[in-house]
Amino acid sequence: MNQASRLLSTYTADVSGVCSALYELGGLTVMHDASGCNSTYNTHDEPRWYDRPSMVYISALKEIDAIFGGDDKLIRDIVETARQLQPRFIAIAGSPIPMLIGTDFSAVAGVIEQQTGIPTLGLATNGMHDYLSGISMALCALARRFCHTPVATVGSHQPSVNILGATPLDFSITGNIEALCQAFQSNGYEINSCWAMNSDLDQLANASAAQINVVVSSSGLALAQWLKAQYGTPYFVGIPWGKQGAEAYFHALKQTLTSGQDGCFYTGIASQSSGKQVLIIGEAVNASSVKAALLLQKGWGNIQVACPFVENTSLLDAQDIALQDEKQLRQLMEQADVVIADPLYRRFRKNDKAQIFVDWPHEAYSGRIYRQQIPVLVCEHFDLWQKGWLKVK
Amino acid sequence: MDTIKIAIYGKGGIGKSTTVANLAVAFAEQGLKVMQIGCDPKADSTIYLHQGQPIPSVLDLIRNKGNDFALNDMVTEGYNGVLCVEAGGPTPGQGCAGRGIIAALDKLAEKGAYEQYKPQVILYDVLGDVVCGGFAMPMRDGHADWIFIVTSGENMAIHAAANIATAVQNFQSRGYAKLGGLIVNRRNVAREMEKVEELAEDIHSRIVGVLPHSPLIQEAEEQKATLMEAFPKSDMADCYRQLAGQILAVCREE
Repeated sequence: MNQASRLLSTYTADVSGVCSALYELGGLTVMHDASGCNSTYNTHDEPRWYDRPSMVYISALKEIDAIFGGDDKLIRDIVETARQLQPRFIAIAGSPIPMLIGTDFSAVAGVIEQQTGIPTLGLATNGMHDYLSGISMALCALARRFCHTPVATVGSHQPSVNILGATPLDFSITGNIEALCQAFQSNGYEINSCWAMNSDLDQLANASAAQINVVVSSSGLALAQWLKAQYGTPYFVGIPWGKQGAEAYFHALKQTLTSGQDGCFYTGIASQSSGKQVLIIGEAVNASSVKAALLLQKGWGNIQVACPFVENTSLLDAQDIALQDEKQLRQLMEQADVVIADPLYRRFRKNDKAQIFVDWPHEAYSGRIYRQQIPVLVCEHFDLWQKGWLKVK
Repeated sequence: MDTIKIAIYGKGGIGKSTTVANLAVAFAEQGLKVMQIGCDPKADSTIYLHQGQPIPSVLDLIRNKGNDFALNDMVTEGYNGVLCVEAGGPTPGQGCAGRGIIAALDKLAEKGAYEQYKPQVILYDVLGDVVCGGFAMPMRDGHADWIFIVTSGENMAIHAAANIATAVQNFQSRGYAKLGGLIVNRRNVAREMEKVEELAEDIHSRIVGVLPHSPLIQEAEEQKATLMEAFPKSDMADCYRQLAGQILAVCREE
């Protein structure tokens, strides 16, 4: 029973990751699932749902469709819808039922593409993996399908970057991605594309034109590796959170750009064993960048990241932890003087008023509940956010 | 008398449907009201009880009409009054046949098939091995009380029978159907009876009947009929009658 979540919630699943990644790109995205099962997607996981139209649908799988496979009906419905809506592409993402009945998404996508002439991606999600896997799968599928070799252009004076792994599930819509792009521009970089917020499909397709790829969540790593293999573009992992963090970040980014060797902002910014114990719970790149931003300030030394995604831990520092279960988390939280995490983790807060709990809401975890409190952390914004809780340090 | 509910399992191609359809007629000859339920997506278990004409399967009815159909759309009266039902299922390679059996048997119960027709013997003819939960459905509480396994002396048939017996044994704590015994459908392979007797000992069961190999079965199929209908006075027909008696005896033991 150790692996059961008795008090904590779960992060949103891979199928929501797919929808989030593809939301702004003009495609028709179909979740192959029972109607109702995915209402969390538009009610909790997609903050753009009410303000910005997108062609996201559910196949409304019924028991009889599961028994008979229902591929013909799925194909017919999607083809008919696509002919009416004329999307740039079609994506079909799976859920637990298609997984159990062995739906072949790649083959179904092939038939749909044959009938419509519209590029179609079959994404074999199953609702049992975390959202980062879904984002990663969708971004890589897009890249394989749409990215083209660089077209010779007049050289720009400024290097350009692709931002990889940006979705509201990790960054919300409270201004982080806009501030991030602004920070790059202020530091002499052009934004070639952002995968996948505030960029269109044509910009993404031109990703090979960038001089460097920046991985801002673990969902962007596989894409960065694919772009490296395909076009030789180096990648750099991390986010410029905090003023001092941003200075170090852009310095290290420049080194990666010059050397052509992949780099990581937070690797090598080591934690100390003395001082207050700080625990940061979150996605590996995001939480590790918060950790680096704090370590670069005076007075912070003993910081550990706890990442709740055991499938996405390759970007964690060796001293940080991939959480296995609630019991492990409870023990970590009991030891911590400061916890920086989504407010839903307050349930495990030590019964000790001396412990500081810093609310850092995460859309992929608590959805819209605390959206208004999601801070912008880029450059100086981080320091402003910190002032709010620093006085109680 | 309580309804006798029997599920017949066995390796694919071993002769389950032929055996079940002939047993159904043999039971009917005794004046019993029999319902035969084919639990196979091919929907051909009862075909020789109605002159080789296919009948609508439960799942086809659900797919085409939702819930807008009547009980008698699912149940067709065949030779000698045997009530024929076919669960049906997806086309090969798609969907979930096991889930289909569950849905079909649930629909049959929901429409009141057992209360309306009041069959005294229900025979479930189940596809192949117990490969998933759906294929265990006929042995669940509320369906069959007894399992009989058709086997020959061929090694693959014996392995399948042992596998099915293991499944039956594993489900004992749930109050599922009990293993009634083995039916030997002879293929005249070497040491045939000796091998099946060894199997019976291994699975702590017994042989309840032996069906000799008979060319009349194929002749009957050519006539699109069961052997019991086409050759009712043959020795083979008597073998089926004898087997029906032995099965009834086992089921009435408790």
